[in-house]
Amino acid sequence: MDGTLKLWSVVAIVGLLNYVSRLSFIALFARRRVPPLAVRAFRYVPAAMLTALVLPMIVGTPGDAAFAPAPKIVAAAVAGIVAFFTHNTLKTLGAGMLTLWALQAALGTIG
Amino acid sequence: MRRIASDPDFREGFAEMVPACVAMAPFGLVCGVGAAAAGASVWGAIGLSAIVFSGAAQILAVQLLAAGAPLAVIVATCFVAGLRFVIYSAAMAPYLRPLPARWQQGLAFLLTDQAFAAAVRRFDAGADPHAGGRHFLGGGFALWLFWQATNVAGYFLGNVIPASWSLDFAVPLCFIALVAPHFRTSPTIAAAVVAGIAVVALSGLPMRLNLIAAGVIGIVAGTLADFTRERWTAR
Repeated sequence: MDGTLKLWSVVAIVGLLNYVSRLSFIALFARRRVPPLAVRAFRYVPAAMLTALVLPMIVGTPGDAAFAPAPKIVAAAVAGIVAFFTHNTLKTLGAGMLTLWALQAALGTIG
Repeated sequence: MRRIASDPDFREGFAEMVPACVAMAPFGLVCGVGAAAAGASVWGAIGLSAIVFSGAAQILAVQLLAAGAPLAVIVATCFVAGLRFVIYSAAMAPYLRPLPARWQQGLAFLLTDQAFAAAVRRFDAGADPHAGGRHFLGGGFALWLFWQATNVAGYFLGNVIPASWSLDFAVPLCFIALVAPHFRTSPTIAAAVVAGIAVVALSGLPMRLNLIAAGVIGIVAGTLADFTRERWTAR
């Protein structure tokens, strides 16, 4: 498939599916009863999905030379504690980046 | 258009979202850099950020495009990563029910992690639905506008940003800011821990399929932990 066509297919299909997800309960199922099991399972979607999404960005892939880099793990833990107590994205970002930069400077590495 | 732009609730929503927009700027830059690295044209990059309007889906899409993954895999992965919008939609639905269908359809497009968090705070503080809707529109529009600006900036600045800044790390930090405050109940922690172990353990799967698998396994784990907790507290 041609690269440009593939990119625009992704834009159109993912854009549409994301919009359907966003619209789902606001407009489409607004008057429908949701099965209790689905309601229960839905509660755990953000925690499971966001963790699955974020963890590889921090630890990398097992077997890689740079697997589980200590500075990123420590910085992520600091950011997690700040996020838990402040609920503030800007403070979380600041705490995480400053910790990472400090550790990288101390250890003389980028990674 | 001018009438809504001078509306006090709209303006308040816009202004209150500016700190979150600033916090999302590095993430937007990384998305723009990724689109350029995947070989997208500037219009392709803008299409992705303006229409998909989800950092997680955009990052996954450009990584999988760059890796030459089939269209079906890219679409499935981005869809699963965007399933959390269904939850946000369900949570927003009662607040938006009094609004006209057009407003519901428009606001749904602007439903993102940050807009959702801000809207729930506002509505829980007892805002009138119509004022709350205009407030949501202001905040959602601010995010959309800043998101396009930072994505385009990232597209063109990709080679200028030094690697030593580790700008990429801003992406997981934005998600940590979203997910860490959830870790207050044992089923939620179970869902996250199991999903985290699964995503690393299954990283041998091709084309990031470990993300979908780990997400599903984590959701099942959270639900089972929820049933178990209920049985314990019922005793």
